[in-house]
Amino acid sequence: MAAELEGSKSLSGLLSGLAQDTFYGHPGITEELLRSQLYPEVSPEEFRPFLMKMKGILKSIASADMDFNQLEAFLTAQTKKQGGITPEQAAVISKFWKSHKTKIRESLMNQSRWDSGLRGLSWRVDGKSQSRHSAQIHAPVAIMELEIGKSGQESEFLCLEFDELKVNQVLKKLSEVEESISTLMQPA
Amino acid sequence: MEESSEPQLDAKSKVTNQLINFQWKLGMAVSSDSCRSLKYPYVAVMLKVADHSGQVKNKSFEMTIPQFQNFYRQFKEIAAIIETV
Repeated sequence: MAAELEGSKSLSGLLSGLAQDTFYGHPGITEELLRSQLYPEVSPEEFRPFLMKMKGILKSIASADMDFNQLEAFLTAQTKKQGGITPEQAAVISKFWKSHKTKIRESLMNQSRWDSGLRGLSWRVDGKSQSRHSAQIHAPVAIMELEIGKSGQESEFLCLEFDELKVNQVLKKLSEVEESISTLMQPA
Repeated sequence: MEESSEPQLDAKSKVTNQLINFQWKLGMAVSSDSCRSLKYPYVAVMLKVADHSGQVKNKSFEMTIPQFQNFYRQFKEIAAIIETV
């Protein structure tokens, strides 16, 4: 392995680039870009297997959503392997995962959501007053606008009108959901 | 998800719909091809809505648990306000 690859200076940058491409879906992070920016002294032929190895390690860690014990065990095993990583590289990878874990996990969750997500919610309550000839006066109404959209697509806006009765009906349903969540979150 | 502590609704949708039915499901995403250990719960909602002409449509979406809790909290706020108006 070229001396430059063994060093850990540029590895942090490489992992960031890999995360951008693999998890956050940013276009344009090519192998050549990473090599020329971070490891300009290394030939493309030598760089490729190195890149693939780091990508594989990062994907394994993310896929298993490793906690720090699992991470340490995994990385230690990688340092003992033939053609594995150096202890310095293990330290860089460990540091990277600890600071990016949450964001990467969120990206993976978003990638696996194929229905629309709720992007925004706004509302107001109108006090409707009818004409003096109408029997019904002061019937307040809640107007709610939901912004929903699928990953990578434009939002759709759904505007709903609720009277007090309807608001309470929905509220009852939401409390059922809350109860289900509590049951789910209870330790087994 | 945006929070509206000061509701200011400038509706982007021209049509106001009535909610006919609200169905929900609490799901748990276990695993996927990009992540073997997803383990996250989510709330899936199916709304049946009708516009002024009576045309009925289904709209579905998902929320993470924190998003749901925000949604629930806002509904409680609406209920509290609508009661006093």
